Parts: sequence; structure tokens; C-alpha cells
Amino acid sequence: MNDRRRVNGPAEGTRRPVFACHVDTASAPTRPQRQREPKAFRKIALETGLTRSASGSSYIEVQPSPPPASYNSLIPHSSSLKLACSVHGPKPLPRSAAFSPNLVLTTHVKYATFATRKRRAHVRDASERDLGVHLETALRGAIIADRWPKSGIDVTVTILEAEDDRWWADAPDSHDASWGMMNVLAGCITAASAALADAHIDCLDLVTGGMAALVSDDENPDAPPKLVLDVDPSEHRSIVAACVVGYMPGRDEITQLWLKGDSSNAVLEDGDKRTVHEALIDGAVTAAKSVHAVLAEVVRESILAAGQ
Amino acid sequence: MSSQRQASSAAQVPHLSPAELSYLYTSLALPQNPIRPDGRSPTQFRPLSAESNILPGTNGSARIGFADGTQAIVGVKAEVERTVLISDTLDVDQDAETVEGAEESASAATGGHGSWVQMSIEIPGFRDDDALPVFLAEMLRESLVGSVGGNEDNGERHMAGGLKGRLVINKRWHWRLYIDVLLLSQPLSYPLPLLSLTTHLALLSTKLPKLKSTGEEDPFFDDDWAAAEYLYPRSSTINSNPSQQVRPPVTLLVISVGENVIFDPSREEIAVADAVLAISFTRNSDSDTGTDEPLKLLLTQRGIANSETENGNGPDSAAAAEEETPGVWRPRRGGIKRSVLAEMMKTALKKGGVGEEVLAGLEGVEVA
Repeated sequence: MNDRRRVNGPAEGTRRPVFACHVDTASAPTRPQRQREPKAFRKIALETGLTRSASGSSYIEVQPSPPPASYNSLIPHSSSLKLACSVHGPKPLPRSAAFSPNLVLTTHVKYATFATRKRRAHVRDASERDLGVHLETALRGAIIADRWPKSGIDVTVTILEAEDDRWWADAPDSHDASWGMMNVLAGCITAASAALADAHIDCLDLVTGGMAALVSDDENPDAPPKLVLDVDPSEHRSIVAACVVGYMPGRDEITQLWLKGDSSNAVLEDGDKRTVHEALIDGAVTAAKSVHAVLAEVVRESILAAGQ
Repeated sequence: MSSQRQASSAAQVPHLSPAELSYLYTSLALPQNPIRPDGRSPTQFRPLSAESNILPGTNGSARIGFADGTQAIVGVKAEVERTVLISDTLDVDQDAETVEGAEESASAATGGHGSWVQMSIEIPGFRDDDALPVFLAEMLRESLVGSVGGNEDNGERHMAGGLKGRLVINKRWHWRLYIDVLLLSQPLSYPLPLLSLTTHLALLSTKLPKLKSTGEEDPFFDDDWAAAEYLYPRSSTINSNPSQQVRPPVTLLVISVGENVIFDPSREEIAVADAVLAISFTRNSDSDTGTDEPLKLLLTQRGIANSETENGNGPDSAAAAEEETPGVWRPRRGGIKRSVLAEMMKTALKKGGVGEEVLAGLEGVEVA
């Protein structure tokens, strides 16, 4: 839907100037390679209580992978996920709303206009609404909603810097699906969970987001794809399938699952009896567990700080 | 607007008392043989009537009506469009004219692009930018363009690159597909399976005009509609195995109640479900006929209908006391165990399972 009441900037196609100071092939940028182990994670920074006006808030940042040794382009080689989440409520429902015996959860996910390499519009588009529904599903399972009758709570996530869907120098069609969105969702879940804890909303457990994917890096298209955790899409030639979970480690339960891609050609290691999608889900759960360690530590610190 | 939305979403939530919900849950959770309100077996679908090719102005169309009165119509329209090859990023390789740069852009033109398939869903009582229609459209579109498609074997032409690859005419031209889904009735139950089955049927009946030009010429088509080719090729030989053909994906709704896995849930059953899962799958055309996994999974989403399970019916009278009161239903908290999840997927996808049955049934609908 177009916003006809404002004169907006062009929805896409504005980008800051980049000067092609080097056109010789020797210094042309090469695709970044994943330096981490398949099961190693990027570092994350998580902080709560930054937005004083909200009843709970959090900020999460994922450390970008280091640039290749000979990288001298002015274009940032990879993105680093940065998002801020704020929780407003519990507050009374508006008079016009219907009676609800439970806490009514609303989630908003919005990319900042400068969050991606291609400029985003001000108006929420389909992918942002889609992310909002996913986030709501993930949180709804964890919140003990019947302790706040007739109340509502708003969870707002602003994505300040999003994960790339592909390597920036790739042709725009080469990575078709928006794989970066999966990482963004995992970050949204973790950030929202931290903000809910900061707002002292009763939850069953700290729900955390984790992501795993099957990637194929080989020149040879027939080589079997590998399972890697916490994937930066720009580091891989193609992503075959990816999975995001919202996971509660204390109860070993999944509140949200999003599995996407065609994993029929994938082969697991010998002796692995699981099907490919089970392996993917398990991978994402492992990722979520490791994020949970950080999340729990941050929440503990914030409680100790508040007690002093 | 908000009052209108409230009304339409309230229409989706069954007005059942806590005792009724508890009764329903208990009967659905009976070990081994659950008792469903309408007497179906766990894997049985509601009766439906289907027809295809009903709209003469479209490339393909279908109508499906469930027995409870919900109906959907899908029309598929195709347009020829010029492929834009300009990279929006600064491609240093192109200036340098390396072999790699040329290769990359060529692969983009042959592989097709997901944005060539456009999907819109209209549900009465919802605005076109409400969460539900947008979410459903994204889910159906993702599984459509996500399928990578088959290999070529027996010399028969298969759809390399899946639907996306099929839409490529040549390097400079492609088809753009508009899939418009219209729900004719109020959404009495969660409309996902109905919309997905109708879309599947419409795509099966979709025909594109036969191409007369060859290679990189501007496309020129045969104006004889009888010579048009199916978007999803049908078998030319009689003895060729239908299980090796590429088919559009189908999305099913599966719920778990207790230890039971139940397919095609009605509105009341979703209201008491422990977990709701949407599974998209299609035929695994790569595999030989003997493999264990005849179907491939394209997309799974958990808890899509949760707003219906937990929001609307809050008859937890025992809110003060934390213990369960027998005979009074409380909305379930928490998530779903991984073992249950695996079981739900296995039931849908295993050989001879529900998924195969659904695909075979849809194949049987006469395409005129």
C-alpha cells in the first residue's frame, strides 16, 4: 500500500556514493570466507534498560566477522546486526477494545530506513509484518498471560542494522530468498525476551532465538551442503535451507519454528540417523542454548544492579 | 476499523465454555484413538468439492469448497516481462570484465527470481495490509518459490530450478505470475489449508502459450490456445511415473493434542490444540521410486494459529489457584517438545502418509 499523504523519498535506489578507486582485478574484493568453526558463534553484546521511558528495553549487537586481510574497499565488507527493543506495558486496554481475560500482546518490527544497503521505506512492508507475526508467536508461548487480565503490552523492535541477504557484490538475484531475515528474527526474539525480563513480565522461561542453516560453498554444485550454526549469509555462496527457533532451554520446548528451504538433496554425515530437517532444528536449538547463556547473565546483572 | 477487525476475529473464535473445551481436549487427547467432534479419523480430511479451469479470462483457476461452507477461488495470470539485469550494487568485476562477473549475471538470468511470483490474498473482514493475509501470502509464496525442482532423467524434460526456472523465457524475458486468492466466505476455520489446496489446483491447471521464437529472440507465441503448455508439465508418456513429476507445494495444518497428531483441524479443534504446525511439501522428484522419503519438506512454521488457541477463549476460572481443576479447561502455556515436532512431521511426510494421499487426491481432480 502506498503512502499517499506524504512526500517520501524514493523507496529504493538511493545509496551513498562509492568511488571505484580500484578497477584492477588484483584488488577487486573477494567473497569473505567463514573463519569460525561450523559450530562457533559470533560474539553478541546485549544490554537492558537503555530506554528509560519504556518499562523494559534492550539492545543487541552481533559482532561482524573480521574483514579479509587484503580488504581495502570503502564499502563495509559485512553487516552487523543491531537492534533495539522496547516494551510498553502492561497497560489497560483502550475502552473500545473487547474484553480479554489475558494479556494482549502486540508486536511491531520495523527496519530503520538506513538498516539495509538498499534504503527501506517508512511504511511497514510485508516482510516486517511477517516478522512481527513470527515474533508474537515466539513470545506468546512464554508469557504467562492470565496474570494480567484486561491489559495490553506492546513490544516494539527497531532494526538499526540488518543482516545482509547476500554478499554485497553478488548479483541481486543470486541469493534469492531473504536469508538475512532469519538472523534478524533470531535477534528479535532474544532482544524481546531480554526486554520482557527488564519490564518484569512473568514468563515461563527466557525464550531465545537460534539459527542454523545448510550451506554449500563448493564450486561443485553436487557437493553435499554442510550444517553450520549462526550463519552470516554473505559468507556463503548459497544457502540451501535455514531454520530459526524460539526455544526455552529450561523446559526444552520450542515456542516458534520457521524452517525454510529445499533440503531434499542434503546428506548428513555417516551414522547420523536423523532426517535433515531434524538436524537443522537441533542445530538451531544448540544455537539458542548458547545465546541463552549470554541472556541469562545479562538479566542477572541487571537485577543485581537494580538491587544496589 | 479496529471494531471491524475485532468483529471478524471474534467470528473465528468458537464460543465454548471451559467445560466444553475441557471435554473436547480430553476426547482429542485419548491415547491411540482420539474422538473428533465430527467423527473423522485423525488423518481424515473434511469432504470438499473442487473444480478447476472455471475462469476463462485467466491462465489457470480453481475453486474449492469445504463442507462447512467455506469457499475459495484462485486465479492465475501470467504476463511477459523484460528481465532487468542491472546489478544494484557496484559490481567492480564487471568493469574489469573478469570471467566470474559475466558468469554471475548469467546465472541470475537463468535461475529465475522469487519476486516473479506475486501473491495476494483477500479475506473478507480483513484489510489487505492486515497481518493474517500478509502472513498467509508470504507463507504460500515462500514455499512456491523455495522448491528447487527436479533433475533430468529418462531424457524427459523436468523443471530445473523449480517454478522460478520455468518462468524464464530467455536471458532477456521472463514470465511474471500473479496468483490472486479470494476467500468467498467468512473464515470459519483457519483458512490456510483451503487456500493452499486451491492454489495448488489452480497452478496445476495453468497453461502458458507455446513459445514459437527460439533462443535470445524477442518472445513470440503461438496464438492457438489449444497448443498451450502446462506450467507444471504433465506426463507425455502413459507409463511414466507420476511420482517423478514436479508438482506445486501443498501446505497442511497439523495439530498435536496430548500424544495425538491430528490433520485438517476444525476451528474448535485448533482452539484446544497444544501446538499448531503448518507444513509445506511437494513431491521429491529427484529420488528414485524406492526411497523412504517420497516428499520433501519446504517450509515449516509452528504456532501460526496461536492467536486463536490462546487469545479468544480465556475461560480460566482457576486463575487464582495455580493447580489444574479437572473438567475446567485452561489455555496451555509453553512450547512444544522436539520429539512431538518430529512425530508430526513424520506422519505428514512418510511414505504412504497423509501428504502423499493429498497429492494423489488433487491429481485426480479432472483438468479440463
